[in-house]
Amino acid sequence: MASLTIDNVKKRYGQTEILKGINISIEAGEFLILVGPSGCGKSTLMNSIAGLEDVSEGRILIGDNDVTYASPKDRDIAMVFQSYALYPNMTVAENISFGLEMRKVPKEEREAEVERVAEMLQIGHLLKRKPAQLSGGQRQRVAMGRALARRPKMYLFDEPLSNLDAKLRVEMRTEIKKLHQKLGTTIVYVTHDQIEAMTLADRIAVMKDGEVQQLGTPQEIYDNPTNLFVAGFMGSPAMNFIPAKVVEQNGSYALELQAATPTVVPFPKPDSLKAHVGKEILLGLRPEMITEPQPHKEGKEFVVTADIDVEVTEPMGADTMVLTRIQSAEVNCRCNPAYPARAGEAIAMMFDTSKAVAFDKDNGQRIDN
Amino acid sequence: MSNVAKRQTSTLDKVLRIALYVCLFGMAAVYLAPFLVMLLTSLKDVEEIRSGTLLSLPSSLNFDAWSKAWSGACTGSQCEGMAPYFFNSFQIVIPAVAISTLLGALNGYVISHWKFKGSDVFFAALLVGCFIPFQVILLPMARTLGWLGIANTTTGLVMVHVVYGVAFTTLFFRNFYQSIPVELVKAARLDGAGFFTIFYRIILPVSTPIIVVTVIWQFTQIWNDFLFGVAFSGFDTQPVTVALNNLVNTSFGGKEYNVDMAAAIIAALPTLVVYILAGKYFVRGLTAGAVKG
Repeated sequence: MASLTIDNVKKRYGQTEILKGINISIEAGEFLILVGPSGCGKSTLMNSIAGLEDVSEGRILIGDNDVTYASPKDRDIAMVFQSYALYPNMTVAENISFGLEMRKVPKEEREAEVERVAEMLQIGHLLKRKPAQLSGGQRQRVAMGRALARRPKMYLFDEPLSNLDAKLRVEMRTEIKKLHQKLGTTIVYVTHDQIEAMTLADRIAVMKDGEVQQLGTPQEIYDNPTNLFVAGFMGSPAMNFIPAKVVEQNGSYALELQAATPTVVPFPKPDSLKAHVGKEILLGLRPEMITEPQPHKEGKEFVVTADIDVEVTEPMGADTMVLTRIQSAEVNCRCNPAYPARAGEAIAMMFDTSKAVAFDKDNGQRIDN
Repeated sequence: MSNVAKRQTSTLDKVLRIALYVCLFGMAAVYLAPFLVMLLTSLKDVEEIRSGTLLSLPSSLNFDAWSKAWSGACTGSQCEGMAPYFFNSFQIVIPAVAISTLLGALNGYVISHWKFKGSDVFFAALLVGCFIPFQVILLPMARTLGWLGIANTTTGLVMVHVVYGVAFTTLFFRNFYQSIPVELVKAARLDGAGFFTIFYRIILPVSTPIIVVTVIWQFTQIWNDFLFGVAFSGFDTQPVTVALNNLVNTSFGGKEYNVDMAAAIIAALPTLVVYILAGKYFVRGLTAGAVKG
């Protein structure tokens, strides 16, 4: 177990800068998730932590050791790859013990360790098989077993679940979380799946174009995104960005949206809107904050009911997503399935803006911070 | 009633199919004919060769020509047959194949998994080696061998073949190793394995198909080589191809075609055997690097 500090790390290939000064630091035992679209530099950052790629500038510290220029084997970290990268010529047991063998661990200890890991991951019956004889999920477990066997200071997971089918992915996700709770080791985990990021992480670093857009706990990222990109990336369905005009009302400021009829909604931090009076901004509102009228919320401070024109309904079982359009923006509302919303008709919706955020339309930054 | 589509075989289709087979068998016969003539001739005695036709069968099986070709025929002033040169060839081929294959494997491993600054240029330069004609390097190589003190020796010939073969073997191994995922090497590095350990424990065990291809290729090339053999061998280190040439060109009185043919088949036998034993790997391995799968 060790903390990880990434201090102003830059990586250049010729003229192109892949990492533009990354600063992340996490405590020992924390589960850090690097998330972002493909090409955002998250895998490069991961490889730099592992020592598989050199950084052009900056420092990487594991615990108190500066490992920026240490070779991969001296960093005492283990990695699980997206392609699993199991050694095809070795059995499962040999795969798991290879790292120990390289570190000159005596044979008996190696065998004991293989047994311990196999039991933890329930792969005891597979130990004599070759990787080619395993299913995707089994390979995934073996790949984790190989990482676990060495008991390293830190684990790196590079999109470990992206080659599994949907059901197995959810299962393994839970298992990884349990494993982390049990072992309490530091984990850095790369994914482009925001649900994985939300469910697993102690802290999430949302990356784009080689920069960390925001580093925070899943809830912080969900409730308090710093810009449009982070807000749109985390959450499924994504946050609604509703064009709204800032209006002055009774000495305070509020937002006017074009629902079925123009509707004025209050905003939690009205003073932050002052500079934008008369201009259009983007109101960020999660789908679950636009619902069918709920009696217990009636009359509360940030709740407004307004009619919308239903475009499409998407029943999901637990909820029904109701799609409408406010100006040019598509807006998702999360409703009770019993609520009789029908495509083509207008129906009342309750807008709860108590957790709403506002973004500058031009540069995408938050304006209410 | 029945809407099952029947395969329509017209008369034209049948005729074309028959024509195709006739064509294929004809071509096969054309390719096999020389070998058949050699085999038949080697089993006849000189008298029968003179009186009969090329394709007439021998009246009795007569292996005298084979034993003479193996151990009694004259190659120039010596009359020991092909046997000593046959073993000379093995002494050249085995180390040359082993060394060039191993070097090719190491080179391919470095070029595809331990890229260094300029490794692509290095690989391109190496490829040029595949296209250098033999004749061009004869004189410089003769000087080099003389300077190294290994002119006219088996060692010298082995070195020539290794130098010439490395370009090809590297190309083979590099293409094969391109299809091995880089994560495998990364995982091994994190596990604490070094350059040679990864090569020996991870890479080599999965290289069987390409090793077979390279061995067949190098074996055939080096065994069949005549030019380097005639240019760089000494009196008693001549390979079998040179001996065959000498044998055919040495004649006292009438030409013994049966002995010539037997000697030629003996000289060709090892490459035939190698190809028959490992041929299926050859085709499999040659295409392995071409299509990622």
